[in-house]
Amino acid sequence: MSELDNQLSLAIHGKPTAAVTYNRTASLKKMRFRENVLAYTFLAPSLFLFAIFLFYPILKSVYLSLHSTDPTGQVAAYVGLDNFKELFSSGLFWNGMKVTAMFSLLTVPTSILLALLLAALTHNLRWGKRGFQFAFSLPLVLAVGTSSIIWKFLFHPSLGMLNYFLGLAGVAPIPWLVSPEWALLSVSLMTVWMNLGFNYIILSSGLQGIPDELYESAKIDGAGAVTMFRIITMPLLSPTLFFVVLVSIISAFQSFGQINILTSGGPMDSTSVFVFSIFQESFINFRFGAGSTQALMLFLVILLLTYIQFKWVERKVHYQ
Amino acid sequence: MTGFRFKHGMVLSTAILMVALAGCNNSSDASGSNGSTSSPSAGSNSTNAEKPKDDVKKPVTITWWHSMSGTNEKAVDKIVTDFNASQSDVQVQAIYQGTYDESLNKLKASIGSNSGPDLIQTYEIGSKFMIDSKMITPVQTFIDKDGFELSQLEPNITRYYTIDGKLNAMPFNTSNPILYYNKDAFKEAGLDPEKPPKTYEEFEQAAKALSKNGKPGASIAIYGWFMEQFFANQNADYVNNGNGRDSAATESLVNSEAGVKTLEWWKRMLDEGAVSNLGRKTADTNSAFAAGQIAMTLDSTAGLRNIVESVGGKFEVGTGFLPKPASADKGGVVVGGASLYIMNSKPEEQQKATWAFIQYLASPEVQAEWSVNTGYFPITKAAYDQQVLKDNMVKYPQFQTAVDQLHASTESTATSGAVMGVFPEARQLVEGGIEAALNGQKQPKQALDEVAQQITKKIADYNKTLK
Repeated sequence: MSELDNQLSLAIHGKPTAAVTYNRTASLKKMRFRENVLAYTFLAPSLFLFAIFLFYPILKSVYLSLHSTDPTGQVAAYVGLDNFKELFSSGLFWNGMKVTAMFSLLTVPTSILLALLLAALTHNLRWGKRGFQFAFSLPLVLAVGTSSIIWKFLFHPSLGMLNYFLGLAGVAPIPWLVSPEWALLSVSLMTVWMNLGFNYIILSSGLQGIPDELYESAKIDGAGAVTMFRIITMPLLSPTLFFVVLVSIISAFQSFGQINILTSGGPMDSTSVFVFSIFQESFINFRFGAGSTQALMLFLVILLLTYIQFKWVERKVHYQ
Repeated sequence: MTGFRFKHGMVLSTAILMVALAGCNNSSDASGSNGSTSSPSAGSNSTNAEKPKDDVKKPVTITWWHSMSGTNEKAVDKIVTDFNASQSDVQVQAIYQGTYDESLNKLKASIGSNSGPDLIQTYEIGSKFMIDSKMITPVQTFIDKDGFELSQLEPNITRYYTIDGKLNAMPFNTSNPILYYNKDAFKEAGLDPEKPPKTYEEFEQAAKALSKNGKPGASIAIYGWFMEQFFANQNADYVNNGNGRDSAATESLVNSEAGVKTLEWWKRMLDEGAVSNLGRKTADTNSAFAAGQIAMTLDSTAGLRNIVESVGGKFEVGTGFLPKPASADKGGVVVGGASLYIMNSKPEEQQKATWAFIQYLASPEVQAEWSVNTGYFPITKAAYDQQVLKDNMVKYPQFQTAVDQLHASTESTATSGAVMGVFPEARQLVEGGIEAALNGQKQPKQALDEVAQQITKKIADYNKTLK
């Protein structure tokens, strides 16, 4: 596109006769058209896939959200906005929103800060760097299912390792997944650990991208570790951080596997994050209408959040 | 440089595209071959009909979707292999489709296509849904046609699946809940190890006696199925209209006296430190039981073998009836588990072949073997005369309790089991209500009132979508 712009501006700056202008605009139009055709031809395969796997399902969700479905999942009747009214009046939406927001608050900042700390610490290690890098990024290679099962063993109310160690320390056993007060914390704990690997790798590579000369000249100017971190590391790392924040929030809103395996949304809906509630409504209770309604609401919420982040947070990001 | 990167990007994206497309291709191939298992045989049948000279008869192939995993899946596979080897008219293909919920999902996705199964195993709480979906041919049709002797089956099992006067599905794997207790711990606590508690009151006494230094002596998983069973054990209906059997249920009765009494008892024991709350999963109560941390728990008979084996001789495992309030004299347990439905979307010849396979499954030999390998009840009475089953009774004498409990159940709408279309959801709601009461957020009565109200609304919504 940029080359085209150049040609365009060249054409405008010249001072040709009328006929030539006419010819030029005609050929320009032609060129632009050809260029567009070419662009869309290249885009076509991905647009095609998007259409099948994204646009069509979204349209279908909108359609389903306005209908009730019979036990076989077939559309039974048009119900207008009843599904939406029901969603808001039953408190399901607000509970889901509350749990999801809490879950994001508990997992996103902690896992990013922890990953940043670990990345900063390992970045300047003289020896054993590889070993630590390997260890800290390890959670990334474990599938959600596998990690959840491992943590389920750890959290087991009477036989779990965590309660065993607490017992050795003389602390009463904690009802990790059984009590409504603890369940969300426990799931978040596991999620922080699980996300640590990914965040750590991204932030580490971000740190490695900052040239050493900057630190060296800052040192010569007499800057301390904290100042260097504040003045050099943070601004130069901000694009990476922005990316990690964006991805983490979206993935927190989409968490499902660990919740399904560890708590199934319970006890008392205390871990019933939005996606789990969609799953439950659609594929356990078989009310595709209500499920689609929730899915659409989640889509809107994520859209809004992402918009806010691009609009306001990105301004603070320093691109080189 | 940009050109190079552009090329690179194109190569990469094309590669991704190819992979995605190849994935599509493969999966559609796979489902195609799955679905087409029926079509070639259907095709060959029609050619057979056209050309009667052709005397090489091709077997009818039927697909069976089931939800048995682990050792149970092996038992299923063995039955199918034996059946296929025993004759040449029908070939069965058993496909594991995930949990009952997942399998039902796939069934729904297959509506209107030829990729569905001939036979599907569905959990007991899916009964009303299967009937309402109008996707099935009730096995009663074939029973009447063939003069199949229904009396050879356990009446307490077939009662559950007999709705609107006909047997809709052939029961396959059935179980009921029993009390598991640690005989050694009973002795230590000064209780009679041969006399397990039979009533709520006795259970509470025993649990208190078994609790020591602040550690509760028993635990019951927060599993909606147990609540349903406690209702039946007090001969109380779970939903109105004859437990949903006279006509479609319109109201949940979970907040009736039977429910409140049960939940108050449960909550009281928790407050006294006699039972602990280990969550919704029986797997967690079982492992605590096997580790000797609790001395009494409830679980399905299907878990018996697993429990006895994981205890591994550390202590002696006893079994007893599901407790009920001392004031309740009638009642009994409802069968749990799953049954087999014949799908009506398939040609008659295939449905007939499916029925032939079902008859094989119901035979005493197969039932005895199935029961021994899995811990489910045999559905056929004569299976108890089989030597393998007798040997198994000697090895696991605890299993006798389950059989006795099944036979001791009095006949009523309560013990036949509730029927409602939103059963899976009702179960979640009940579990949520029990949690709210046990965690002290609501009074038992209040918690159950709210649950009943929610279930009643869900039932109304469900009934509205049926035409």
